[in-house]
Amino acid sequence: MTVALDRITQPAADADHSVDFGHRKLGLGIGAVGLLIAAVVAVLAIVAAVQVGDAGQEDTIGRILAVAFGLNTVALATLKVGISVILIGILVRLWIRVQGIKTALPLLKAPIQGDAVIVGTVDTPYGTCEVSEKEPAVLPIHKIAKTLWAPMLGMGYMLVVIGFVVSLVWAGNVGSDPELAAGASAWTQGVQFLGEAMVLAGISFLLGSILRGLRQGGGDVQESIGVPVQTLQMPTTAKAFIGLMMAGMVLAIVQFVGYIITTGFDTAVDVATWFAWLGPLRELSLGLLLAGIVLALATIGNVLGFQFWRIRGIVTTGS
Amino acid sequence: MTTATAEFNTQTTSDVPDELLPHKAGRKLWLPMLIMAIVGFGVGIVLGFVRADAVNSGDAETVAVLGQLVPGFMFIGFASVFAAIAFAVARILGVFREGGAGMQKMTGSEVRTLEMPATGRAFMVLMVIAMMTIVVAVVLHFIVGGAIAADNASAIDNAETWSIALEGARRFGVSLYLMSIALGLATIITVLRFQSLRVRELVASK
Repeated sequence: MTVALDRITQPAADADHSVDFGHRKLGLGIGAVGLLIAAVVAVLAIVAAVQVGDAGQEDTIGRILAVAFGLNTVALATLKVGISVILIGILVRLWIRVQGIKTALPLLKAPIQGDAVIVGTVDTPYGTCEVSEKEPAVLPIHKIAKTLWAPMLGMGYMLVVIGFVVSLVWAGNVGSDPELAAGASAWTQGVQFLGEAMVLAGISFLLGSILRGLRQGGGDVQESIGVPVQTLQMPTTAKAFIGLMMAGMVLAIVQFVGYIITTGFDTAVDVATWFAWLGPLRELSLGLLLAGIVLALATIGNVLGFQFWRIRGIVTTGS
Repeated sequence: MTTATAEFNTQTTSDVPDELLPHKAGRKLWLPMLIMAIVGFGVGIVLGFVRADAVNSGDAETVAVLGQLVPGFMFIGFASVFAAIAFAVARILGVFREGGAGMQKMTGSEVRTLEMPATGRAFMVLMVIAMMTIVVAVVLHFIVGGAIAADNASAIDNAETWSIALEGARRFGVSLYLMSIALGLATIITVLRFQSLRVRELVASK
């Protein structure tokens, strides 16, 4: 399983660098499907809004909104799967970039000037970095990211689809069996937002895998050409990224448990009271995961800046 | 002479080209947007708990007003956090552009940089449309909430209609944002492919 996933994200060393691997088109295609579903949901919302106030249409509106809720989450998850495919494409391209730079740098770099390798730490415009003779060891968080991105994405999307099926049960019982409809509503919201959070966690782990690729690839390039291996220490943004991702997942689980608890309530007021805070809570969980993703992207930008700075240094000074 | 990068639209300069406006915006705005997102989510969740208390105590007016304000603040959070992601992606594209150009200059070669690909332009256009869609929905939420608080009979009667319509707009705005981010990331693949071909060109020209 792990080997198969490695093949998806890391091409063979002799892979043809000039080939377009198709991740971009596939990812955008999946995204377009998600956007089409979202357009259908927008139409459903307009249809429901127009019918508000029409006598006898309450059940119809309730059914439309139930389906729209389930379908909207499917649309968002589909778009995120498209983004994940594109991130895999970036990961593949980064490894090809490593091979390219490994081939090119020995020919482009200046003859070595100055002293031999001094192991320790040095300050750079991009933060403190470790200097070593060998490629640095893989960090535990990077191993976790490599192992978990696919299961998170797969299970997350599955939960979203299961939630959509439950939303159809919800829609089918509006008016005829209010108790069952309320229960199905709680299950739909809880399950789908847990699934959304897992899909976002999958994306976070893919970004973590990109950071692993940059760290490992940067070390590999430097070691292969015999220059001191400089590796950035984990920046604060990366640490905060992990913290936000964990907080987001914890809240996603809390909201899921909260929705399940509401299915045991006897009165509609109790259910409505819990729904009133569970709604914002589930959105906060996604918000924290997205905030973590922002910090992961910021870290990637910083690491790339460092790598270009390092390459320029090697080309200029040879070490 | 046909080069390996001939399939790409490029510009050739003798020096590192100036930073593009979207890249500059990305560098400067990703953090303020992230901070705004955290504030939006923070206010939204607090008001969510206040609304839950009002639901429990049967305070219908507070429930109706906060029914507009809670999603309003939450979606200030979402609009901001998606903008932060888009700006962070733009910043990465800027790093690739400047870094790739700097490396070419260091090797003494002419500096060839990629013209903005179609996906890059679509990324920006869609991001603006998505942001506007969500911002308009949020503003309307606040207007409706204010009207309900002022006991405007029409706003009270039409509160549900507004809630459903604005929810639809918010959801579609989020989908547009995600698509724009997908386009931005797709542009990174194009840039990486161009750079891996260009670096081999540099070696071949030595």
